[in-house]
Amino acid sequence: MEIQVMKNILGENDRIAAENQAMFRDKGVYVLNLMGSPGAGKTSVLEKTMEHLKDKLSMAVIEGDLFTSKDAERIDKYGVPVIQINTAGGCHLDAAMVQKAAASLDLAALDLLIVENVGNLVCPAEFAVGEQEKAVVLSVTEGADKPLKYPLMFKEAAVALLNKVDLLPYCDFDMQGARDDITALHPGIEVIELSCTKGTGLDAWCEWLEERARR
Amino acid sequence: MCMECGCGQSNGNTRLQFTVTGYTEESAKECERTLLGLPGVLFVHIHAHDGETTVDYAPGKTKLKDILAVFEERNLEAAL
Repeated sequence: MEIQVMKNILGENDRIAAENQAMFRDKGVYVLNLMGSPGAGKTSVLEKTMEHLKDKLSMAVIEGDLFTSKDAERIDKYGVPVIQINTAGGCHLDAAMVQKAAASLDLAALDLLIVENVGNLVCPAEFAVGEQEKAVVLSVTEGADKPLKYPLMFKEAAVALLNKVDLLPYCDFDMQGARDDITALHPGIEVIELSCTKGTGLDAWCEWLEERARR
Repeated sequence: MCMECGCGQSNGNTRLQFTVTGYTEESAKECERTLLGLPGVLFVHIHAHDGETTVDYAPGKTKLKDILAVFEERNLEAAL
């Protein structure tokens, strides 16, 4: 009888993620895994974060995308080191991809490394990449039902950024309901209402991030 | 998408269905929120009228006794 042994891909990923985490800790760089749906505003959040923090912190970005380097080109304009990972259809970044990309960075010179994951509310939450913490961006145009529909993402995240709040008058988005669901899923999670176009909440978000990067 | 990469297929979660007696509309909501706040609990669905309560959880992160305690603390009886 032939017995097929399936490799535990999550176990292998966790092993490499632990290696990455130890390496990042050793170099003194705080790593944030930024997740969310396509179009939630992850790259816009990154752009605004760089505007606010690039003179205060030494930063770098790893950009995950299915195809193209469009997001990396947006980041490059800010003069921050950026490395693009194309997953060629893969729906999430994994720890091995990030390990390879991080090898091109001068980690010891960094305070903060942000990994922008592939746009997807499901899979990225299951694959640690070696980050200290995760953040999720949810835009109000996506609907307030998303936290309960995609609970793992919100369980895993240390902070939830509710983006595009300038569009609230045009959306049927129950802000209090979304906040209640998010904090029910993850008591203690930080929830920040944000608008990248109007600047709402950016100070609170950047303070949250800077405080962590300086620990 | 997930069928291709295997995400979500090996998270080891367990889905249990309880019959809970004594729910009020309020206590059902409270139980739902408290259960969702437990580590590894990803899904809770409660039919307050007949007590049918479904909980999807990771046994490695939350013990069954912790789930049962949520009902007991509210003087509700839960049967598997």
